[in-house]
Amino acid sequence: MNLVDAGLYGLLGSATVAIVMAIVLTGRVRNVIAGLAVLATGVAAALTGLATLLGYSGTGLAIPVALPLVGDLDALVLAPDRLGGFFMLLAGLVIAASALFGIGYAHGPAASRTGWTGFAAFALGVVLVPAAADAITFLLAWELMALGSTVLLLAEHATRQAVRAATIWYAVMTHLSFLLLLAGFGVLINAAGGTSWARMVGIAEPTASLAFALLVAGFATKAGLVPVHVWLPRAHPEAPSHASAAMSAAMVKMGIYGILLVTLRLLPNGPSWWAVVLVALGAISALYGILQASVQSDLKRLLAYSTTENVGLITTAIGVGLLLHQSGQHAAADVALIAALLLALSHAAFKTVLFLGAGAVLHATGERDLDQLGGLASRMPITALTFGVGALGAAALPVTSGFVAEWVLLQALIHADAKTDRLLAVVMPLTMGVVALTIGLGLLTFVKAAGIGFLARPRSQAASEASEVGFSMRLALLGSAGLTIGLGLIPGPLSQLLAGAVGASGIATTGLTGLELGGLGVVVLNPLALTALTLVLLAGVLVVNGIASRRHPRREVELPWGCGGERTSPRMEYNATSYSEPLARVFGGSLHTRRSVEVEHPDDAPLLVSGIEFNQETVDLVEHRVYLPAARLAERFGDFARKLQNGSIHRYVGFSFAALLLVLVLVTR
Amino acid sequence: MSLIRLLSMITRTGTMTEPVADAPIETRDGFVPPACLRGSVQVRHVDAGSCNGCEIELGAAFGPVYDAERFGARLVASPRHADVVTVTGVVTQNMVEPLLNTIDATPNPRVIVSIGDCTRGCGVFAGSYAVAGSVDDFVEVDVHVPGCPPAPEAIIAALRAVTRR
Repeated sequence: MNLVDAGLYGLLGSATVAIVMAIVLTGRVRNVIAGLAVLATGVAAALTGLATLLGYSGTGLAIPVALPLVGDLDALVLAPDRLGGFFMLLAGLVIAASALFGIGYAHGPAASRTGWTGFAAFALGVVLVPAAADAITFLLAWELMALGSTVLLLAEHATRQAVRAATIWYAVMTHLSFLLLLAGFGVLINAAGGTSWARMVGIAEPTASLAFALLVAGFATKAGLVPVHVWLPRAHPEAPSHASAAMSAAMVKMGIYGILLVTLRLLPNGPSWWAVVLVALGAISALYGILQASVQSDLKRLLAYSTTENVGLITTAIGVGLLLHQSGQHAAADVALIAALLLALSHAAFKTVLFLGAGAVLHATGERDLDQLGGLASRMPITALTFGVGALGAAALPVTSGFVAEWVLLQALIHADAKTDRLLAVVMPLTMGVVALTIGLGLLTFVKAAGIGFLARPRSQAASEASEVGFSMRLALLGSAGLTIGLGLIPGPLSQLLAGAVGASGIATTGLTGLELGGLGVVVLNPLALTALTLVLLAGVLVVNGIASRRHPRREVELPWGCGGERTSPRMEYNATSYSEPLARVFGGSLHTRRSVEVEHPDDAPLLVSGIEFNQETVDLVEHRVYLPAARLAERFGDFARKLQNGSIHRYVGFSFAALLLVLVLVTR
Repeated sequence: MSLIRLLSMITRTGTMTEPVADAPIETRDGFVPPACLRGSVQVRHVDAGSCNGCEIELGAAFGPVYDAERFGARLVASPRHADVVTVTGVVTQNMVEPLLNTIDATPNPRVIVSIGDCTRGCGVFAGSYAVAGSVDDFVEVDVHVPGCPPAPEAIIAALRAVTRR
C-alpha cells in the first residue's frame, strides 16, 4: 500500500468515525470528537492530495459495490490524478480549518446529531469529488456533497424563516447542476462506451461540444457563475459559518475542478469558442460579483458575492489559458492556467479566513449587518487581525496569496501576444480591463468590510459587548490566515508543484521561495525578498519616528472634536451604506439600488421635521429579471395543471376514457 | 500683470510691515510657555460673545501690515490642529459649552490667550441676562491682552510670549 491509497483509506475511515461519533455522542463531547474526526478527514485528504501532487500515484481504490443498472461498465474507482490531488489538498485544508472552527462555533441545531452528520458527509463528499476516477463515483460524491450541504444549510430552519427560502433556492440550483452533469456525463459515457476518465478520450465533435455545454453549465451552477449564481448570496449568509466557509471556499471550487477536468483532461483541444465562452462567463461573473459585493452591508452576503467574483476570475484565467494554447502561445497559456490554480488556492485560503471571521463576529455579537458592527478591533483582536489578513488577500494586496495569484494572471495577460490573432486582439485587452476594474472594486469592498466592521466605535449594543471567541476558533482563524500569508510570501515551490498538475512548463522556483515565470522571459516575483527589503526600509522610518516621538511626546486630547458640541454618537460614523454610496451612484444603472427618503412632519406644524427615514436596498438584477419571471411562469403552469386535476372522479374516468380512445385510434390507423 | 512688473512693484514697495513694538500684556503667575511650542504655534480662535471689535484687531494682526505669521503664529480651522486657543468677548449663555468643548478638544499642552477687556469682568456687558460670565470665570487664562479693543501689536506681543520669537 502506498501513500495515496493509505491517505484514501485514512480519509474514508476518519469520515466514518466522524459520522458514527456524531450519531453516538451527545452534547459538548460530540462537538469535540466529531469535529476532530472531520478535521482528521480534512488533514488526510490534504496529505493525500499533497502526495499525489508530489508524484506518488496510488493503484486506486476500487469500491466493491454492485450498482444496479451499471452492468458491464467500469468499476467505481478512487484514484486522484495530480489535478485532482491539488483540489483534494485545497478542499482538505479548508475542511480541516472549518471543522476546527466548528468545534467551538457549532451550537444549537448546527451542533445537533443531524448537524454534525451532515457536516461529516459533506466533508467526505467534497474531498471525494476530485479523487474520483470515473463518472459514476464522481456523481455519487457530488450528490453526497450536495445533500450534506443542504442538510447543513437547513440547520436553523426552525428559528429563522429566511433559512427555508434559502434552502429551496439552493436545493433547486444544486439539483439543476446535478441534472446537467448527469446529462453531460451521459453523453460522454455513451460516446466513450465506459465510465472511467481513462476511457473518455478522443470524443469527436459535435458530441464533444454538446457534452462541454451541458457539463460547463452544470459546473458553473455549482461554482456560482453569473447567471446561475443566485443561490450563493442566499445560502451562504443563512448557513452556519463553518459550513459557509467550507461551501464557499471548498465546494464551489469543485465546480472549477469540473471545468478544468472537462477542458484539460476529458475534452482537450476543444474549439476556440469554448475558451471564449469561459472567458465571457468569467469576466461577467467577476464584474457582476464584485459590483454587488461592493454595495452589500450584510457581511456574509458581501462575502458570497465576492465568491462569485473570484470564481469568475478563475474561470477567466482558465479561458485565457485555453485560448492562448489554441493560438500556439503555450508559455503564456501555461502561466494563465497556473494563475487559475493559484487563484483557486488563494481564494480558498482567504475566503476561509473571512467566512470564519464573519462567523466569529456573528458568534460574539449576533450581528452580520456591517451597519451594526464596528469597534471590534479592540474587543476581538485575533479575529480582527486575521480578518484583516483575509481582507488583504481578497483585495489582492502584497504579502498575501491574492496578490501573487492576480500578479501571475496579469503577467499572462500582459505577455500574451494579441497581435497575431483577431480574436485575441479583442479578448485580451477587454479581459485585462475587467481584471483591473475587478481588483480596484475588490479593494474598495474589502476596505469597507474590514474598516466598517472592525474599526471606529461600536454602532450597536451587541458590538460594544463583544468579546474574543474561544480557543479552537482562534486557532482555525490563525491557521488559515497563516496559510494566506505563507502562500503570499513563499509562492515558488507550490507553483512549481502546480505546474505538474496542469502539465505546464517554464514555472520555476527562484531563490528558494520566489516565483519565476521562465516561459515569459525574465519575470520574477520574490515576495519574501521584497517584504524583507520593505521591512528594512521601514525600520529606518521607525527609528526616526521613535527618536522624534521621544523628543516630542504624544500630546493628549481630552475630547474628540464635535464642532463645539459633544455630538460624537456612533450614528455619526461612516457606515457600510454610506461608504458604498458613491459606487451605488456611479454603477446605479447596473446595480438597481432602490432608495426612498420619507420626511415626517408634526401634525400641527407642517414646516417642521419630526423624523426622516432613509431606506436603500439593492436588488439582484439577474434574480429579478430572469428567475422571478421564470418562477411566475412555472406557477402559472402549475395553476393550469391544477385545473385539470380537480379531484373529481368523473373527470379522471373521462381522462382515462379519452386516453383509451386516443390509443385505439392511433393503433388502428 | 507680467512677472517683471510684479517684481518691480515688489521691489518698489519694499517691506510695509510694522516693526516690532512692545505692548502691555499680562501673564498668569508662574506661566512658562511649553517648550514644544517654541518657535511655532497654531491658533484656534473662539468668539465667545464678542462685539467683534477684537476680531477686527485680530484680523489685522494676521494681515500683511502686522503679519503675526512672521513670529510663527498661524490661524487654523480646528482645535485638533491648534496649540493656542484665543478667546474674545464675554461668555454668553449659549457659548459656555462650546467654549469648554473647544478647549478640551485642543491637545495638551495648550495655551489660552484671552483678548480684550470683556474677557475680564465683562466690560459694558456685565449683568446682562445673556451673559454667563467672563472668560476667566470658566477657564484658566494663561495670557491676557488688555484693551478695548487691544491694538494688533498687543495681540502679537501675546503670541510672541508663547513662541518666544
